[in-house]
Amino acid sequence: MRELLIVDDDDGIRASLTLALEDEGYRVHEACSADEAMTLLAGRRGMDLLLVDLMLGGLDGFSLIARVRPTCDAPVIVISARQDASDVVAALEAGADDYVTKPFDVPVLLARVKALLRRGRAATSLAPPAASAAPADPPPASGPSAAGRRRTVLDAGAGPLVLDVDAGTLRRGADQVHLTVTEFRLLCELSASAGRLLSRTELLERVWDRDWFGDERIVDVHVRRLRLKVEEDPSDPRLITTVRGLGYRLDVA
Amino acid sequence: MSLLLARRAPRSGAPRSPRPAAVARRRGRRVSRRPRSPWGVRRAAVLAISLGSAALVAGFATSAYLVVRAELLAQREQTALGQAYVDAASVREGLLTAGAEVGDVLAAASPPADADVLVVRGGEVFSSSLTRGLESVPEQVQDAARGGGVAQAWARAPDGPVLAVGIALPAVDAQLYEVARVGELEATLTTLRAVLAGCALAGAVGGALLGRWVAGALVGPLRDVSSTAARIAGGELGTRVPATDDPDLVAIVASINSMVDVLEERIDTEARFTADVSHELRSPLTTLVTSVGVLQRRRGELSERSQRALDLVDAELVRFRATLEDLLVLGRFDAGASAMVRVPTDAVVLARQTLASTGRPEGLLSGPGRDGDALVVDVDRQMVSRALVNLLDNADLHGQGVVAVQVRGSGSAVLVMVDDDGPGVPDGESGRIFERFARAGSRQARPGSGLGLSLVDETLRAHHGTVWAERSPSGGARFVMKLPASRA
Repeated sequence: MRELLIVDDDDGIRASLTLALEDEGYRVHEACSADEAMTLLAGRRGMDLLLVDLMLGGLDGFSLIARVRPTCDAPVIVISARQDASDVVAALEAGADDYVTKPFDVPVLLARVKALLRRGRAATSLAPPAASAAPADPPPASGPSAAGRRRTVLDAGAGPLVLDVDAGTLRRGADQVHLTVTEFRLLCELSASAGRLLSRTELLERVWDRDWFGDERIVDVHVRRLRLKVEEDPSDPRLITTVRGLGYRLDVA
Repeated sequence: MSLLLARRAPRSGAPRSPRPAAVARRRGRRVSRRPRSPWGVRRAAVLAISLGSAALVAGFATSAYLVVRAELLAQREQTALGQAYVDAASVREGLLTAGAEVGDVLAAASPPADADVLVVRGGEVFSSSLTRGLESVPEQVQDAARGGGVAQAWARAPDGPVLAVGIALPAVDAQLYEVARVGELEATLTTLRAVLAGCALAGAVGGALLGRWVAGALVGPLRDVSSTAARIAGGELGTRVPATDDPDLVAIVASINSMVDVLEERIDTEARFTADVSHELRSPLTTLVTSVGVLQRRRGELSERSQRALDLVDAELVRFRATLEDLLVLGRFDAGASAMVRVPTDAVVLARQTLASTGRPEGLLSGPGRDGDALVVDVDRQMVSRALVNLLDNADLHGQGVVAVQVRGSGSAVLVMVDDDGPGVPDGESGRIFERFARAGSRQARPGSGLGLSLVDETLRAHHGTVWAERSPSGGARFVMKLPASRA
């Protein structure tokens, strides 16, 4: 059973969302402040998904996400009251995967939760960051291995990156690069169409399952985040290039 | 004195405020147009200064003339009198000498060059000049001299103006008359008159010019103040009237600027209030919507009556939500705080997606043919799509359904038109329907917030476009959204 955490200081929203999500078969934990959320996260095995309201008393939602992100790879959906550019973009840059605006349609929210969980690898725990939580694998061979796993070698200028779609990992040498679920999914989509241009609208549909009216800023922010983690020089990207006005393209060697 | 508040279209990008006439209308004040009075400050000033200076100069000139003339005349009289006495004394002395002839005595006396001397003795008139006779001496002077006294008078002789003095010489039983020609004096006075009149005229003209300059200097800075005020009224609330050294204008500049400060703060407060209200309303609404969603999933557990009640709640929540959303968007437009994300968009695709997302048949849409260029506009997709949805809903609500949606290019603009099957917009209403909460017909409980069309209006304005209603060829209403084409 998937474990969800709702962080919202509004009792009504928390209670009603819990009802709705439990009806869908999830196990829901509640926190009414950022502090309570962090306590909960530290004490448990780990959550499969976080729902965070940006407006919280005390430490706000952005800061909570930023604090939690380094040690928790669980997908985060942000609940905001405003659609203003700064709020949403800030939340996305802090590490959120998606957002909904109050008042939202419950079916829409449920669909997004489902989509994010479906993508998911198991969320890594909140073990101390130094351990990087991955056992030392032998250096991977390039190209498809005998087990038929989909693996691609990418080069962003800082040494070969190995993208293992089935295992859900991205490795640089022996180290694993921590990507959120959505970042990983985005990279996979770009890689699957390597050398081809993908428009923002297409990426929005494939990765976030949005319709034509979706907010393309999500795509931009995630590409930015991806570059920060993957490129040798994020301001001069070699792996993921922007085709001005049209979209993005992943270049392989 | 009235400040001209020109109404201008609000500038794009600048913080917008509701237009003054619209604000006045909303507050129920009549927007009165006072007839322009023909006498402005400027004209009054010019007139006053011109007339004033002309009168002043004329008055001065006149009094100067009168004073000088009186002085000149008095002086002349004194001179003439003095001279006559001298001549009278000399003649008397001469006549007192035994055996003197009047003629010789006269010849001996030497009157001034511009005067003639006459002596009357024993009925005989002796004159120092061949041409001067007693007729040049006025009667009253003769009477006075015959009576034994002295008299002086101005007269007009055949050869010009004269000043006649008469002195009695009782010692020798004679009268002496001295007649001085005063033609030069008269010439002097005439010249003086002319000069002073000329000065008066020059003074009047100078006064008029001065008046114009003064009026200009007065009104000029006021014009600056009023044009700045007009810009502020037009929506550029960041503008202030520049500070001035002019002590007379300092007060008005200060009060205009402080008025705008107050206004700006009011608008900021309103914007913050709207934002706060937004947050306050959204949270309880979220809980309501979510809980109703939970109930709907568990409909089966409810009795039929409860299900009906639930459906009522659900429907009203939908309406509540729509109204709130519209109100919040409009509130943001009012405060100038609407954050748009504009993207180049194919208008036909936008229309098609909008129809699809609202479950309307795509067949309603017609656009330019394949061979035409794509009609691209820089728009916030959600906003413009929402505006189109509002037009479509309006067509359903009041126009008995959408008949056609067309996308056309028109010069440097793109038109999106929605035709309905209804009776069309009543004449004269086509402007009013875009106002907030304006409803055609009675205020029944209809779905829709009454804000839909005003939202369309504000959205188009924010995109530098316009929207209007006209009659469609088939008789129903046609709503047209006009957007500037993207320059790509």
